[in-house]
Amino acid sequence: MKAFKKVFISIMLVSALLSSAACGGAKDSGQKDAPSADTKSESTEAAAPESSESSAEGSADGKNESSAGDGAINIAVSSDIVTMDVHKTSNDYIVPMNVFDTLFEVVLNSDGSTSIEKSLVEDYSVSDDGLVYSITLKDGIVFSDGTPLSSEDVKFTFERMLTLPDSEQTDYGASIQGAKELMDGSAKELSGIKVEDDTHLTITLSEPFSGFLAQLATPSTIILSKSLVTEAGDDFGILPEKTIGSGPYIVSSWERGSGLTLEYNPLYWGPEPSVKKVNIKVMDASSMDMAFQKGDLDILDCQRIDSALVESTYKTKYADSIVSVNRLGINYLILNEKVEPFSDPKVRKAVQMAIDRQAILDSIYNGDGKLEDGIYPSGCLYYSDANQGWLKYDPEASKALLSEAGYADGFDFEISLDSGSDDSVKNVIQIIAQNLKDVGINAEIKSYDHASWLEARNSGDMPSFMAAWTLDYNDPDNVIYTFFGSKDNTVIRSNNYSDEATIKRVAAARGIVDPKEREAEYAALEKKLVQEDAVWVPMFSLKHLYVKGDRVESFVPHWAGWSDIYFKGVTLK
Amino acid sequence: MSAFIRRCVGVLLVLLGVMLLIFIVLRIIPGNPAAVLLSEHANKETIERLTASMNLDKALPEQFLLYLSGALRGDLGQSYYLKRPVLDLVLEAFPFTVKLTIFSAAFAWIFGIAVGVISAVYQNRLPDYLFRGISLLGVSVPVFMVALFLQYLFYFKFSLLPLLYDGSAVSMILPAIALGWNSAGSVARLTRSSLIEQNNELYLDTAKAKGLTAKAALLKHGLKNAMLPVITMLALQLSSMLSGAVITESVFGIAGIGKLALSAVETRDMPLLQGTVLFSAFIISLGNIISDLINTCIDPRLRV
Amino acid sequence: MIKSFFKNKAAIISAAIIVIITLMAVFAPLISPYEPDRQDLLLRLKPPGSEHLLGSDELGRDVFTRLLYGSRVSLLIAVIPTALAVIFGMIMGILSAYYGKAADLIIMWFADVTLAFPGMLLAMAIMYTFGGSFLSVLLSIIIMEWGSIARIVRSVTLSIIEQEYIEAARTIGVKKIVIVIKHIIPNLLPTLIVLFTLNVPSSILSESALSFLGIGIQPPNVSLGLMVNQSRALLFQMPWLALAPSIMIMILVLSFNYLGDALRDILDPKTKY
Repeated sequence: MKAFKKVFISIMLVSALLSSAACGGAKDSGQKDAPSADTKSESTEAAAPESSESSAEGSADGKNESSAGDGAINIAVSSDIVTMDVHKTSNDYIVPMNVFDTLFEVVLNSDGSTSIEKSLVEDYSVSDDGLVYSITLKDGIVFSDGTPLSSEDVKFTFERMLTLPDSEQTDYGASIQGAKELMDGSAKELSGIKVEDDTHLTITLSEPFSGFLAQLATPSTIILSKSLVTEAGDDFGILPEKTIGSGPYIVSSWERGSGLTLEYNPLYWGPEPSVKKVNIKVMDASSMDMAFQKGDLDILDCQRIDSALVESTYKTKYADSIVSVNRLGINYLILNEKVEPFSDPKVRKAVQMAIDRQAILDSIYNGDGKLEDGIYPSGCLYYSDANQGWLKYDPEASKALLSEAGYADGFDFEISLDSGSDDSVKNVIQIIAQNLKDVGINAEIKSYDHASWLEARNSGDMPSFMAAWTLDYNDPDNVIYTFFGSKDNTVIRSNNYSDEATIKRVAAARGIVDPKEREAEYAALEKKLVQEDAVWVPMFSLKHLYVKGDRVESFVPHWAGWSDIYFKGVTLK
Repeated sequence: MSAFIRRCVGVLLVLLGVMLLIFIVLRIIPGNPAAVLLSEHANKETIERLTASMNLDKALPEQFLLYLSGALRGDLGQSYYLKRPVLDLVLEAFPFTVKLTIFSAAFAWIFGIAVGVISAVYQNRLPDYLFRGISLLGVSVPVFMVALFLQYLFYFKFSLLPLLYDGSAVSMILPAIALGWNSAGSVARLTRSSLIEQNNELYLDTAKAKGLTAKAALLKHGLKNAMLPVITMLALQLSSMLSGAVITESVFGIAGIGKLALSAVETRDMPLLQGTVLFSAFIISLGNIISDLINTCIDPRLRV
Repeated sequence: MIKSFFKNKAAIISAAIIVIITLMAVFAPLISPYEPDRQDLLLRLKPPGSEHLLGSDELGRDVFTRLLYGSRVSLLIAVIPTALAVIFGMIMGILSAYYGKAADLIIMWFADVTLAFPGMLLAMAIMYTFGGSFLSVLLSIIIMEWGSIARIVRSVTLSIIEQEYIEAARTIGVKKIVIVIKHIIPNLLPTLIVLFTLNVPSSILSESALSFLGIGIQPPNVSLGLMVNQSRALLFQMPWLALAPSIMIMILVLSFNYLGDALRDILDPKTKY
């Protein structure tokens, strides 16, 4: 049967044809040190057929039609948003950020620091006890359909945030006086917000809370229109024409599963942005990579693609187009005190010393970050240099501590992995397991789907996990309170920290009004928690890298974790 | 006619079984599926409300009856994650999957039959070996590899076609090829073998004797008869195409049933998963009835 | 019969490839100097070369070694559930054909029910309930495959029991179970072997599809589909990572398809499935 041989050969031929195409691509980018001339010739080569193609195809690909002049940009996200209603999500901020406004906004200064500036607010003052915020709104602000924005809308927004049955944002109104009563149904109104007239109102807190202004500058507290939202009912956040804000853009279309389009709001009160239209497309990582290289994307979020790709392609070919910002977030490894042998602080300290964080940072994240030894990431308010630099990778000392604790032969435990996390996280956990194996600890990695993972963590029974906390607003309280501010919080975060006196101190630190005193207390708490009690293994903070395309002149990525961008800050060439 | 009615009753019984099976599979592990929705900020009342809305607080048999009666009224429940009626979501996604399936079936048939015919005509000569190689690749390469290579070749390398589905017919070409690739392989193999079988039949010799060349005879008489088994494959392939649609839709960003089901698994959205699986089983059963009807029309011998 | 097998070169070569890959997977620890999950962060993403035959992955693990261990899992996940599906399908098919109208109706109804699902979607429902693991992939493959096997076994059994000697055995009072074991199953064997061989490649593809979607086998375990999933983003930059497992999947699927086709031609030339 010669036939078989020939068929076999022809199969090999066809597969060789297919794979040669792939290998060709590999050679191009494999030469990391190749001079840029080489890559340039490749890019012009690629661009030429594209331009002729786009005219030939016409409607085939709308993305190619947008020329630099029309102010439209193309952006990719990895999954579609669920809702445009910020009260019903804690993930999808792209619409809230660009279609609505907040009372205050966070501005990134050129030196990297941040400050809170007025946005919808014309003027404001805070009483000496830190309880009463008197606010004057800017005059003449309207929603994109012409409805004026007034103090009533501010009050409505916070009341809705607190009373909506499936609200995800109750934390952001909880510090206002009367929030509790409103939530448990004993009050009909939020007593802490007093409307004086259309542009004047006062907000009273139940106790002083220095992070409050910062909270008012996050997408969680965007101001909604009372009349429009009430009229829209369940369609608010679902139908673009019923989701109306006062921000620089309006949602012109939303195709579920494939993406959405934002367009400039001509009634916007602020300066007209350079970007007039934003096409947001849902793509997976390899599509984003190809689309950006072909010029079909204008900004690429490196966090959404493989870090090896960032290193091999973008840091070489696109080195001049990379924009980066220090992400205000910290990666950490939790060791649950409720799970033996982690009740012993010596064991937790041994784990702290056994992990080669620098190697992880260098190999998985291309070194784009900074080791963190505390709780608050660098860039955070009251970040303390004194609490840094003490934690060193030392497997020998780790082994010694383990045998001191009676675990000379190591022990077994489970690291729980959220199977929905990105490949980098999965890789980091595998390195951690390897590091621990080297000191004799056998860490078994177990995968859960996201929801089960979250359920296990919230129940307080998860033995160990790695995750990142990105600050919603720049205040140490946002990290430390979330993890160690109350008994409930220590359970929800599965650390089960047992020192109740320290937990009380963390809660009390929120109310300290004097900045100096507050700074000292937060530094002391950080030292106590991480260095003495080893409540977690601090890992690192990461840089957030973007690559901008040829048409983008500049943009400033947001310092906070939201991967979404304020498009009004993007300028085109 | 009574046979047809009997067949329909059979399909209804199967659909009942389908509902029962998916109901059991999704609930076999005890625990409240609504509880896993506890996201970072959700509260107890939300979970209680969702539990009640899915009747999860009731006994299992009662739950099933409620689900069944709901389904009969067109109520498949409310999606946990997307917070909208499941039926609305499924009906929104369905046209995309239909479009994808039609395009890829068309590709599979045109390409598959053409390759099969050429192979048969040039039996055991070079074109045959080449095309048999292609059709074997067709049945053995995973859908996702085909999809990734197509994107690379036609978008990245040669800028001929869009990367993702964007609503236009042109952007449907790559997904259709990716999904139709496997089916094209089987169609080609089947066409070839049944044509060759026909070739050996006697009446073709008669045709040849009448003065037609061998090739013309094969095409003129053989092809018509060879098509019957190939047409029977249609219904069988509907099921495998719906399976393949999960991957194709997720690679090419098509908001169809497969992508909806995948997102339901990823977000642990039990009602949505239940609804999408049920709906696609319903479509397959419908396809079976239709192919029965077609077969009966084409081949009168099947009318019993 | 055996003679005609050896005449068929396609079958021999396919069988040889399968045997070689299986042996390599089984004796992976002896073949490769590396451990599948031993990391070397200093030697990450190295292209194929003398040190790493097929290069190294994102954690500096040897791709060739992982390919062997991945084939092990993929082969296991293809062979075990397929064998179980064939056995279960056989029992159900015989019961249905030989044990009366009621059993026939119920079993064929159940087969129709499982066949009414698109396999992938039913598998996803199983992943939802049991999580992505070896066992749930195994379970979903059995559920996906047993129905069509049972249908074929049923029709073949029906044609077997029509034969005279079985009729004769029945009239002289031989017990049903004895007839099944002594006459029906041996006659079914060729069909079962062919069914098994032809179902293995679809199991391999199902596993790789589930793992590719990220809902099948989970790290730190390794399977061929998972290897593709984890390296697909680098497909065009570092092709060895994704191509090696993809080509392995293709070779296995092709070989089993070829072997199955050949076995069918030899063992069971009249049936078509």
